[in-house]
Amino acid sequence: MSRELNRREFLTTTGLALGALGVAGRAAHAQTPAKAGGTLITAQTSEATGLDPQLVPALSRSRRSPLTYNQLVRFDPDMTPQPELAESWQISPDGLTWTFKLRQGVKFHDGQEFTSADVKFTFDRLLEKSQSGKSDFNAVDKVEPVGKYAVKFVTKEPFAALVAALGGFWGFIVSEAGVKKYGDLNKNALGTGPFILEDWKVEQQMVFKRNPNYFKKGLPHVDELIVRVIPDEANIVAALRTGQIHHAFIEDNKNFNLLKEEKALTGYRSSRLGYDYLNITATRGPLKDVRVRQAISWAVDRSQVMRVATAGFGRLTAPCTAPMKQWQLPEEQWMKYYKPDVEKAKKLMAEAGVGSSFSVKCMVIPTFPTMVSGAPVIAAQLKRIGINMEIENVEYAVWIKRWQAHDFDMTMNTTPGYADPDVAFFRALHSTKGQNWNSWSVPAVDGLLEEGRKTMDAKKRKEIYDRVQIAILENVPHLWLYSADLIDFTQTSVKGFRQHPTALLYGLEGASIEKA
Amino acid sequence: MALTLLGLSVLVFLMLRLVPGTVVEQLIGADAVVSPAMVAELKRFFGLDQPWWRQYASWIGGLAQGDLGTSWRTGKPVIALILERLPVTIELTAFAVGFALLLGIPAGIVSATRRDQTVDNVTRVGTLLGLSVPVFWQGTMLILFLSIYLRWMPPVVWVDFFTDPRRNLTIMLLPALCLGTASAANVARTTRACMLDVLGSEYIRTAAAKGLRPRLVVLKHALRNALIPIVTVVGLQIGILLGGTVVVEEVFTLPGVGRLVLWSIYQRDYPLTQSTILFVAVMFMTVNLAVDLLYAYLDPRIRY
Repeated sequence: MSRELNRREFLTTTGLALGALGVAGRAAHAQTPAKAGGTLITAQTSEATGLDPQLVPALSRSRRSPLTYNQLVRFDPDMTPQPELAESWQISPDGLTWTFKLRQGVKFHDGQEFTSADVKFTFDRLLEKSQSGKSDFNAVDKVEPVGKYAVKFVTKEPFAALVAALGGFWGFIVSEAGVKKYGDLNKNALGTGPFILEDWKVEQQMVFKRNPNYFKKGLPHVDELIVRVIPDEANIVAALRTGQIHHAFIEDNKNFNLLKEEKALTGYRSSRLGYDYLNITATRGPLKDVRVRQAISWAVDRSQVMRVATAGFGRLTAPCTAPMKQWQLPEEQWMKYYKPDVEKAKKLMAEAGVGSSFSVKCMVIPTFPTMVSGAPVIAAQLKRIGINMEIENVEYAVWIKRWQAHDFDMTMNTTPGYADPDVAFFRALHSTKGQNWNSWSVPAVDGLLEEGRKTMDAKKRKEIYDRVQIAILENVPHLWLYSADLIDFTQTSVKGFRQHPTALLYGLEGASIEKA
Repeated sequence: MALTLLGLSVLVFLMLRLVPGTVVEQLIGADAVVSPAMVAELKRFFGLDQPWWRQYASWIGGLAQGDLGTSWRTGKPVIALILERLPVTIELTAFAVGFALLLGIPAGIVSATRRDQTVDNVTRVGTLLGLSVPVFWQGTMLILFLSIYLRWMPPVVWVDFFTDPRRNLTIMLLPALCLGTASAANVARTTRACMLDVLGSEYIRTAAAKGLRPRLVVLKHALRNALIPIVTVVGLQIGILLGGTVVVEEVFTLPGVGRLVLWSIYQRDYPLTQSTILFVAVMFMTVNLAVDLLYAYLDPRIRY
């Protein structure tokens, strides 16, 4: 069921989209060079739990990683992979060896040259130490230098998603010398990126200086970047309004309405790669039965949940979200699963033998506004089919522990999303070789995921992942609720900023400040 | 004092460990399927594999030698983190106390001397509001209101007093006002009650009968004797204010000790949390001691 769009919203949305495109267009085809210099202040609600791009899975870390690190491949805002530290790459005919030609003359922040040895070190360290990052590269057997400026990834089986993994959250390249010097990259950052971390006062701010030796000539434009932690988003809204900060990513989409009329601000709104979902543990009580999970899916009105949780600034999504482009299912194939049908849901519950009502608990992290807003709506909707959903507010550290242990009936959840369906689905859903977020087991889906991973032909992969998505919608491991729009605001004096569907801070590299 | 601190150390130590989750989960995060070997290694690194009594003994042993420990999440000595942020909290508390005294005492005096008149009634309603309105709500509303209608909010980037006094005072104005409001209300109510009590005394009637000016009677004779309970309340308020700084520092993003403790709890940074709470407790006890010594100055009858 599509969200209704009134005329005012349509015009506002179109205007903003055109405005954002206009900004992006100016950045991409600038006739006038961007102004250099100045200090750009951006605000975040969360402090990074650590800075190590290989050990810390938190979004608060990965959001900051593009400021100080680069990847071999980077996805541009259109989610097209672009050469970054790698200039080009080739795949062997058997699909088992990828050879990346590396960019020469790139330096780490300490002046050391970036070479193939750093790439090997990075991925050896990732595969050895990082359970989380390793799962994106499970198919990689080894990484070998080929001379100083080329590197070979040898895979155990054909692995079409390697480029997507390299451009993902775990693909940032670290310095071998840097790790040996600091031992711990959680408190230090030594990469090749546009900014150099100069000072970090935890829970206050990070101060970055421009990297004068950045390999992308002319970038970054600003001399200094401050990432300020302001936990309360109401204060971020006030700081934007009063000009105290230049940029902020808005976590609670309702705040878009507070700022959209501000003449001194430019608003950006676009599709997000990630989505919010309802995690269901398929080993718990009646939830074991697929008919009960299907009933939950038919009972939940996702449009209503989205309207409450994001003030309507989002979109319903198939398992492959809009930025995943060619992987998306045609709307007519997935939207039909999202039309609420309470009678159908009740019938499924009866068939499953769940006559009277039963209770489940659903975890919510109080500091995630979309979870807090969305959960009561879902609870009200499930009550109609006899499911009493009790909302448990669980502090983040406790939530992590319980989520890892699969110690929950249901939980509201959010994921930053992934560019390739293999990376997006294998880890989440494979019952034995992935993390199996929902403790489910559907051998047919496992088979499709394994086949998709090994298939190199793009057309065949598309067919496979179309079938995976339908199987997901039919068997309901978890409920894809919606994909909230990415919302950023900058002062109008900030030029060249671009949003990125991953919500990572790639866009600050090209930002500049025009003096009034 | 030593026994109190010992008891507090046991309480803090145990309560932290009763809260689910450790620093290991904070480091590894939600996205991990963790290998037991990695968890074990991290727990060994942080000493969490040790029995609780050994962890406690290790911490207390360090404290006895003046070592407050090292923060797990930042790698910095706890004492360095505290000293870095202490001036902010002290400044905030001092301003809040100053505001409470400057507003509360005169309000209480006026209220007492104009008993049951309009100004007294208004003051009493005002103190009730001051006590009822939560600090966090007050702070957030003030920021929103000022930013919407006056296009102003306190600067978000902290500057200390000696670097830029004017900017620093601008930053501190609203937080001190929010933090001091409830204290001002308490001080006003206490002052009013104490003044009413004293103003009814024989010696005050005598002073008035002797022809002394009313202002002299109130400020020199009555207030001086009413001050002892007021000082007690103010002393207690300082302790409450120190606790209240956690909320105010979070709302106004001030880099003080309160925010440090809050963050350390979220991060399960046990050394930082434990030692900082004890440090604040020592500060509170020191303030109480100073208040007790002040009694002797105010009341010559009190001798220690």
